[in-house]
This record gives sequence, C-alpha cells and structure tokens, in this order.
Amino acid sequence: MNSLKVAVFLSMRSIVRSNLGVTFLTIAMLVLANLNLNFVSGLMDGIIDSANEKLIATYSSDIVIEPAGKNYFIRNARDLVKQIEAVDGVVAATYRNSLGAELSFNDYRVNTVVRAIIPEQDKRVFNIADAVYEGSYLDDRDTDQIFLGIQLAGADRSDLELFSSSLRSVHAGDKITVSYANGVIKKYTVKGVFYTEFIQTDIQAFVTERELRSVYPLANDQASVIYVKTRPDISMDSIIQSISRLRSGLQFKTWEDTAGLVSSMTESFAIIQSILMIVNMLIAGITVFIVTYIDLTQKRRQIGIERAIGITSSAISMSYLLRAVFYAVIAIISAYFLYQYGVIPLEARYPFHFPFGDVVLSMGRTQLIRSALIIAGVSAIAALLPVWQTLRIRILDAIWG
Amino acid sequence: MLEVRNLTRIYRMGSVQVAALNNVSFTVPEGYVVCVTGRSGSGKSTMLRQLGLLDYPTSGQIYFNGQEVTRLSGSARARLRLAYLGYVFQEFALLYELTALENVFLPGMMLGKRGVDYKKRAKELLEVVGLGTRCNHRPRELSGGEQQRVAIARALINQPRILFADEPCANLDTVSSQVVMETIVRLNRELNLTVVFVSHEPSDVKYATAHLELSDGRLVFNSLDREV
Repeated sequence: MNSLKVAVFLSMRSIVRSNLGVTFLTIAMLVLANLNLNFVSGLMDGIIDSANEKLIATYSSDIVIEPAGKNYFIRNARDLVKQIEAVDGVVAATYRNSLGAELSFNDYRVNTVVRAIIPEQDKRVFNIADAVYEGSYLDDRDTDQIFLGIQLAGADRSDLELFSSSLRSVHAGDKITVSYANGVIKKYTVKGVFYTEFIQTDIQAFVTERELRSVYPLANDQASVIYVKTRPDISMDSIIQSISRLRSGLQFKTWEDTAGLVSSMTESFAIIQSILMIVNMLIAGITVFIVTYIDLTQKRRQIGIERAIGITSSAISMSYLLRAVFYAVIAIISAYFLYQYGVIPLEARYPFHFPFGDVVLSMGRTQLIRSALIIAGVSAIAALLPVWQTLRIRILDAIWG
Repeated sequence: MLEVRNLTRIYRMGSVQVAALNNVSFTVPEGYVVCVTGRSGSGKSTMLRQLGLLDYPTSGQIYFNGQEVTRLSGSARARLRLAYLGYVFQEFALLYELTALENVFLPGMMLGKRGVDYKKRAKELLEVVGLGTRCNHRPRELSGGEQQRVAIARALINQPRILFADEPCANLDTVSSQVVMETIVRLNRELNLTVVFVSHEPSDVKYATAHLELSDGRLVFNSLDREV
C-alpha cells in the first residue's frame, strides 16, 4: 500500500515538474505512433468497406437467389419478388433476366450479357441509376433503348481500365447493334452511360424487361436471378431461411459468395493491413522506446538515490509505469480527437481515389481499442525496461555511474 | 550499537585487485559521534558505504544491535536503510523534481508508520536544520549548505538509530560547513543519535566523541578501543 502511495506521489510530481519539452516530445511521439496505427488500419478498412459497399450497391445486392439444379429460370418471378419483399428484414427485391449478346459500334465488337430489368424496381435494390455518366437512366416503358456501362461504351475515355476492349467511342444518343444469342439482331439507342467505378458493374448492359420480352418472349415473368436488399440489423441467415420457405428449387448466395475478384482483393488488403500493423507496431514501439529510454537513462541517478534512501523497487517501477500510462492515455485521447475531428474530415474532403471509387477512412471500435492497447503496452514496456535495468545494478553505480 | 569485524572490500579491475578496505574492525557505542579521517583514497567512503548497506563487503561482518546484517537481501537492506539508518551523501543526492519538504518526507511516506504525520515531522526537521522557511523550494533554488541540511533532515525523518554522513561538508564553504557540522552535533545531543561521519579535514575531529583514521584501507588509529 505504501509502495503504491509513494509510486503515485512520485509519478504525479514527475509529470508536473519534469522537463516540458521532453514531456511534449514523448506525448507527441505517442500521438503520432497512435495516429499512424489508426490511419493505416482505417485506410485499409476503408478500402475493404468501400469495395464491399460498391459490390453490394451496384453488383450483387445482399442476397442473390438463383434457380437450383438443372433449372435455368425462376418462374413466376413477379409474385416471388412480392413475397420476398414481405419477409421481415428485406428492404427491397428485384429480378433480372439475361441473354448473351454481341454489341457492335463502327468496327468495334464486344461480347457481353444483356440484362433485362424493371428500372424502377431495380433502383430500389441497386444505385446504378445514381451513377449516370451521360444521358439518363431507363424508364419501365422504354423499348429500343439500352443503358451501357462505361467500360463497354468506352465514351472516348482512354484512361478506362478496359477501354481497349470496349466499343471505344459510344455516347448517349448513339445507335449500336445488338446481336442476341437467340439470333435476333436489333439496333438500340444508347439512352445513357453509367459509371459506378466498379469494373464488374461497368461492363454490364441493361434493357427493360419489356424490351427483352419483345426479342425473347420466353423470358416473360421468368428470372435468371433475384436480388435482395436487406436491413443490416437482421441476420442474413434468418432472411434466407424465411425466403427458402416460400418456394423450393432456389439456391442462395450472400454478397460475400459472389465477391470473386473483390473478395481476393479485400483478402489481400487484409493481409497487407496485418503486415503494416505489425510493422507500424514495431516502429511505434521502437520510437516510443527510444524516447522513453533516453529520458529514463537520464533519471538513472534519481533512481539510485531513491533506492539508497529506502524506496522499494516496486514503488520505483510502479511510479515510472504510472507515468508512462498517464502519457499513453493523454496520447491515446489526443490521437483519437485528432483522428476523429481532424484526419477523417480532412480525408473526407480530399478523399483517396481508388479504382472502385473514393475511400473514406473507417473508425472501428476494435481498431481503436487495438491501437490504444498497443500504445499503452509499448509505453509500459519502454518505461519498465530501463527502470528494471537500473534496479538491477549496484546503487552506487546508479548514482555515480 | 554498531560492530564491525574484519571488514574487507576488494575491487576487481580486470586482473588487478585493489583492497579499498582491509580487515577493519571496531565497535561504536550508542550515542557516539565518530569521525573517520584519512587521506584521499584511504577507504573512508568505501567503509561508510558498507556500513550504510549501500554496498556488499567482500568479507567480514557488520552488526547492528548484535544482529548481523552483512548478507541481507536487497529488499531487507532497503527496509533497514529506511527504518534504522540515515545516510547523508557527499553530493547531497536530493531528488530534483521534489521540494525540500517532499525530499524530507518521502522516506517517511515509504515507511508509513501508523500514527506518524510524516509531513508535520518533515516540517519540524526542516525547522531543526534551520530551513523552516525553505520548505517549498526545489534543490536548485537552495545553496549547497542548505541542500546538505535538507539531506540531513531527510536522513532523520524515520528517526534512525544511526546516521552516516559521507564528507557532508566536502562541497561547502567554511560557514556552511560549520553550520552543517554543528547541526549534526546538536542532533546527536538532542536525539541521542549515533553518528559516524567521514571527513578529510583533520580539524573536524573536534565535533566527534571518537576518532577513526584509515590509511590504505587499514585502520591505523582507533580512539574507540580505549574508550570501549
């Protein structure tokens, strides 16, 4: 008890009366180390979150329903979508049908799949309608019109990733030829070009369900896939269970199952994040250790005097530990406010641009706690090691060197 | 009170061995003021550090009140230093982040004797050494003599049975030296405190009731033998 009392007393006096410059430098190093940990981790999480959000919002929705077994279509799709929308936790659902086709414009040809959508219904699940680059989005009653992803249209954007395999210079209002897999060849006016910045979506082409019926009557009220948008607070498993009770012969995938390229990319980012975390942790550890070590080495004589007058080793160790923890707490709080109210708003104003769009720094509680624990742990070790070293040497050597 | 038998301290520097203290024996009765003199390098400070339990002798024994303390563990020595011994260093050895008052009461706080108001006692001790008005000054704001008196007050906070002072006036001017030595003698009289102090000034023997002289690590004069 006396050791604790003395430790608290010594650490408080040391904090209040120690060299302001050294104190500031120590805390500043801890703040920077903590910010670095938060930033790298936040950026990586932001990239992963952003890619996943884009995937869900433009490509896969939350749940993908496909026909099971040897069935190619889901029949009575309209009714099923209505029933699915009535399931607790479902925000909206839509169905699509697709037909292989070759698009051509001037001398350029592209093989793709033309997807038939009910535009207003589709808009409730996906936000492709918000990503119009030229022209406008489809209307439910549109016929002879097509809505093209920019990686298909090209739109004279030679900077696009897939420009060389696109139609190169198709713009809204241009006429392109679509040769369907069923032999139908038809000219379409490009109603709009969209650019979601998510390549897998931007290589898609859409017509209305009404239009597809005119070239492929068998597709009426049939779906090759149903997309379901869910509420984040309801478990996807329970929603899938509820939907599976509506009809048999369906197979379900979550957005993670359909991620494909995004999945391998996010996995790679997760690995990079882990590596960077370890490297940053080491950098933070070594930096904090050096600053604290130099400060404490200068206090070797003081520790020797404390020992000589009978202050116990535990009280001395504890006093330096308390001081280190105090500095770490100040640094963690400062770094939190700097990150939350400085770095994040600044990054949001000037966001990092990635191939799938702007990335916003994330701020997860787990990540914050992890960084805080690393900083606190490193500070404690950096403080205790030189103290323990000094406590092991002869008192006289500690005082006089 | 304090008994020393065949105390030897050998320092090893590579293959060379130097006997800083060689087979020294003496006994100090309670209430005595013992002055240890000798030329520079004679082993005075080495001996005092062994007696103050700041170092381990190579051989020999030290007894306090009949109990051997030579080979106690580090923590047991720390307890003894805290509760029974006071030590005044030649270079004051104050903690520069603490005020004079805090320097004095820190060992009291560590010992934490029940019913003892260590802050009040620290103030009283600073009054005794003539620094009642300098309680809240940090060491760098005090003169050398004042710092040494703070160190003396600190050494006395836990009412030790014996006070060791290693050349307490070595870094002081004549006036300050006189004040410090008179303070030590006064404390001996008022508190019946046993004092062993080291001095390189032969004239300081006048403050003592007994005199030990060392030369090349050996005890060459011991007035205690006659008196004991």
